[in-house]
Amino acid sequence: MKTILAILFFLVMVSLYIVLYLMNKRTPLPEGCENLKADCEGCHDYSCTNNPAHYRKKETDQ
Amino acid sequence: MIRELCTLLVTSVLINNAILNQFLGMCPFMGVSKKRNSALGMGVAVVFVIVVASIVTYALYYLVLVPLHIEYMKLITFILVIASLVQLCEMFIKKTSPSLYKSLGVYLPLITTNCVVLNCCLANISNGYGIAQMLVYSIGTPLGFALVLYIFSSIRERLETSEVPRSFLGNPIALIVAAIMAMAFSGLAGIV
Repeated sequence: MKTILAILFFLVMVSLYIVLYLMNKRTPLPEGCENLKADCEGCHDYSCTNNPAHYRKKETDQ
Repeated sequence: MIRELCTLLVTSVLINNAILNQFLGMCPFMGVSKKRNSALGMGVAVVFVIVVASIVTYALYYLVLVPLHIEYMKLITFILVIASLVQLCEMFIKKTSPSLYKSLGVYLPLITTNCVVLNCCLANISNGYGIAQMLVYSIGTPLGFALVLYIFSSIRERLETSEVPRSFLGNPIALIVAAIMAMAFSGLAGIV
């Protein structure tokens, strides 16, 4: 019973995150904030959306 | 009681500082400390998220996880709560205050991976804090983070115009500054 409760709770939390993520994605950016960039050059976490490597990749693709 | 809370506040801000004493949040410490404005933006965003995340995770732990006897789920629950809260905060700020979004928006996704947030939520539980202690600790920890980040960014801005040996330029001199700051802050341990 405890395991089922834990799994159910986990599923609720994950679905809450997915719903909020999608809602946030669909919320339009305020005017003037379309091309905001963080001034970050610190670490090598390439999964981070603020990593400058992403901007460099976009520039080279263009 | 008030004296205890004051001690906890001073300890969490200065003595058990998240960055210089516990070595947490090193990524934003090195990455977002080149300019004072960025450091201030990151600091404010971290204060906001930690306070909200601590209250929510504390309530969730004692009102849901403990009654259901699934306390072992706290780590994964807290991670999901923090990630969800960051999304919620970003969405709320986008809709209500474009100017605030301009200054904080880019730093909000970074906070999801900031281990200071998770550590603060877990410490509230593992230290057995009451509500008042939890609130004080959750305000003190991010304040200490923001304070150190701001001081460090001010020093790094000055370093830009200073004469630094070539081999020490950039991150090496920043790490030396961080080490000296850690030593300076450890000297404050005697005040409590």
